[in-house]
Amino acid sequence: MDFELTDDQLELQRTVRDVLDREAPASLARDIAEGSGSADELWATLTSLDWPALCLPESVGGLGRGWVELAVLLEEMGRHVAPGPFAATAAQFAPTVRHAGTPDQQERFLAPVAAAGATGTLAVDEGAGTWDLDQIGASATRDGDSLVLSGIKCFVVDGATAEEIAVVVRIDGGLRVVVVPGEAVVARELDPIDATTRHATIDLEDVRVDSDRLLVGSDSDDAVVRAVQEATVGTAASTLGACQRILELNLDHARERRQFGVPIGSFQAVKHKMADMYCLIERARVLVYFAALVFDSDDDRRVIATSMAKAGAGECQQRCVRDGLQLFGGIGYTWEHELHLFLRRAKIGELHFGSSSSHRRRITRCAMSAL
Amino acid sequence: MRLDYDDETETFRAQFVTWLEANLPDPALTVDRPTSSADIPAWARQFQRRMFDDGWLSPAFPPELGGRNASLFEQMVYLEELGRRHVTRSFNPQGLGIVSATIVSFGSDDQIRDWAVPIMRAEKTAALGMSEPDAGSDLAALATRAVLDGDQFVVNGQKVWTSGAHDADVLLVFVRTNPDVPKHKGISALIVETDTPGLERRPFPDLGGPDHTDFNEVFFDDVLVPSTNLVGELNDGWRICNGALAHERAMLWVMWSQSLDNMLDDVLEALRNTPHADDDVVLDGLGRSIMDSHAIRLLGYRQLAKQQRGLLPAEQSILKLMGSEAQRDLASLALETLGAAALDQTIDTTVRFPYETDRGAVSWSDRYLFTFAGTISGGTSEIQRNIVAERVLDLPRG
Repeated sequence: MDFELTDDQLELQRTVRDVLDREAPASLARDIAEGSGSADELWATLTSLDWPALCLPESVGGLGRGWVELAVLLEEMGRHVAPGPFAATAAQFAPTVRHAGTPDQQERFLAPVAAAGATGTLAVDEGAGTWDLDQIGASATRDGDSLVLSGIKCFVVDGATAEEIAVVVRIDGGLRVVVVPGEAVVARELDPIDATTRHATIDLEDVRVDSDRLLVGSDSDDAVVRAVQEATVGTAASTLGACQRILELNLDHARERRQFGVPIGSFQAVKHKMADMYCLIERARVLVYFAALVFDSDDDRRVIATSMAKAGAGECQQRCVRDGLQLFGGIGYTWEHELHLFLRRAKIGELHFGSSSSHRRRITRCAMSAL
Repeated sequence: MRLDYDDETETFRAQFVTWLEANLPDPALTVDRPTSSADIPAWARQFQRRMFDDGWLSPAFPPELGGRNASLFEQMVYLEELGRRHVTRSFNPQGLGIVSATIVSFGSDDQIRDWAVPIMRAEKTAALGMSEPDAGSDLAALATRAVLDGDQFVVNGQKVWTSGAHDADVLLVFVRTNPDVPKHKGISALIVETDTPGLERRPFPDLGGPDHTDFNEVFFDDVLVPSTNLVGELNDGWRICNGALAHERAMLWVMWSQSLDNMLDDVLEALRNTPHADDDVVLDGLGRSIMDSHAIRLLGYRQLAKQQRGLLPAEQSILKLMGSEAQRDLASLALETLGAAALDQTIDTTVRFPYETDRGAVSWSDRYLFTFAGTISGGTSEIQRNIVAERVLDLPRG
């Protein structure tokens, strides 16, 4: 038992922080939010630093680090509202191909990610906004050497820009994954609350792909379940990072801003809110890293660990957004202040891959069935 | 990071489990129940003594003090195994966890021989005199006065909330020995035997009912205490007081985690027999409590990992706050879930465990009320939030 980052992992965290402090300042997120910036340069830099390869298996040219390291990266990306395809590629596309693909298919779709920063994403939800796998209606049918798809996918992160989209469909009586080239689908970009993340609705109707794009490494729904679990925890890690920054901004503000002749951080009404934010952040953090460890150790608590991580991040987000904005007063309610960039990133994480309450209900059902 | 334990720790766990299974008292004896937190039934005294003599009472201590020099992780698996079996180490928890531990840390060899060891071997019981009518959250404002006169202190004043004092043989009392310096610098710690003339104990019931008596007022009227009963240096009491509470807090999260788990088991079991098992609001609320229970244990694990690396962990300051409030919230949810039936005080809600304390009533409404012992005692939740804000988050003192 060692529930703390190792020296190597702490070193990685420091490195990641340094890189993002330099390469992804809040001004980059602001430029993108104002329509003048681009995430391309950041992605090129991160690719040159081997970030896309870091947590991929050595068999596809990756560096073989695990989910804990991935959580470290995702948390820091959230803490910097870093834009770009890292999160969807590393925490959605890659786990999906790893769980669902044969070794050859993993090589085919992940080696370009490891070697050159090819991008990908995962398409699950079809409009209900619940990421409930039972509700999936999109399908694939065989037609000679091709597969013909049908249906739509919603809230797909980087859905209009990713090079490859892992699409969850029904075929052969189960849930499987077809890797569809981004250029093969019609995508309509949404206008999300956090402009540094991109989301799209994609239309699969009559999209035709080669049948070898059906991932056949697993013959059960379980691969899809596992992929969605990991994507869910990835979203939680990024949310956690945004909350951490909201607290840090608030602490600086409470120490510096003076009213009635004293720093506002000396008032108990302010202190107690911050103490609560801190507790909820630490609660979310241990739940996120527990899930990462469960993924890394092939532990059988994946269902409950995933839902606890997601609901934990969601609950901490609700408090950090509410009190984080409130405690800043008027200055936090301006476009000029950077606070809203982080509030928006935190909010996105609340509803993607299932709401906090839907995950809490799943936790209880899971615990009751274990009694 | 890893989730499993190393072989050495697992070997330790197996040794303890073997010992425990061979030495647990005959359940038939356990019908004799304790009446306060300093009342140890004969069978439990005997068991505590056996634990001490075999080095399983305080594993972190050396063998002559009832331990085996156990590592942090060994201490944790030890507490986990006790908790899993619902075995209480001592029915005088403040005696073992705070009073004897403080004497071992700060006291003289004679004091360890005369008081710490007898308390650990359950030959004596002890209570802790800290709070006073005008010194609760502001503990350092305590006013009970001790004046050194030759080779003895003359003690005058009053303590309150002194749990178990009416059944205790000795008190560890924090007193003011110098009123002319800043309040933290004039406090000392004294061991006072409860049969000393001039010392009067008045037990009073808590909100559990007129017979639910553990609290005491303790009055000191020219009580003479030998100067050899001073623990540590004169006027060094505040440091000792913080050390005493640190003993209590270091591993206390295991208790929070365990008692939250126990309550969760009871609620989930009760829920099965109600029409609410599929109620989304109930499932939602319980999900939060299940997360609390996991998070508290994981924060405890992380605290241990940091201690192991020689760091000063911040987790300690939030575990009591989170643990006590999580328990209160769960009990409140249990009432809401079970409806008006939960208000019936005659309904027994817990499975009884023979080796565990179970003083007091156990209806759901009582369990709810008792959770406030957690959010009030040992530093209220409000004080805990101040501590987190000032010491962890480095906000200015107000």
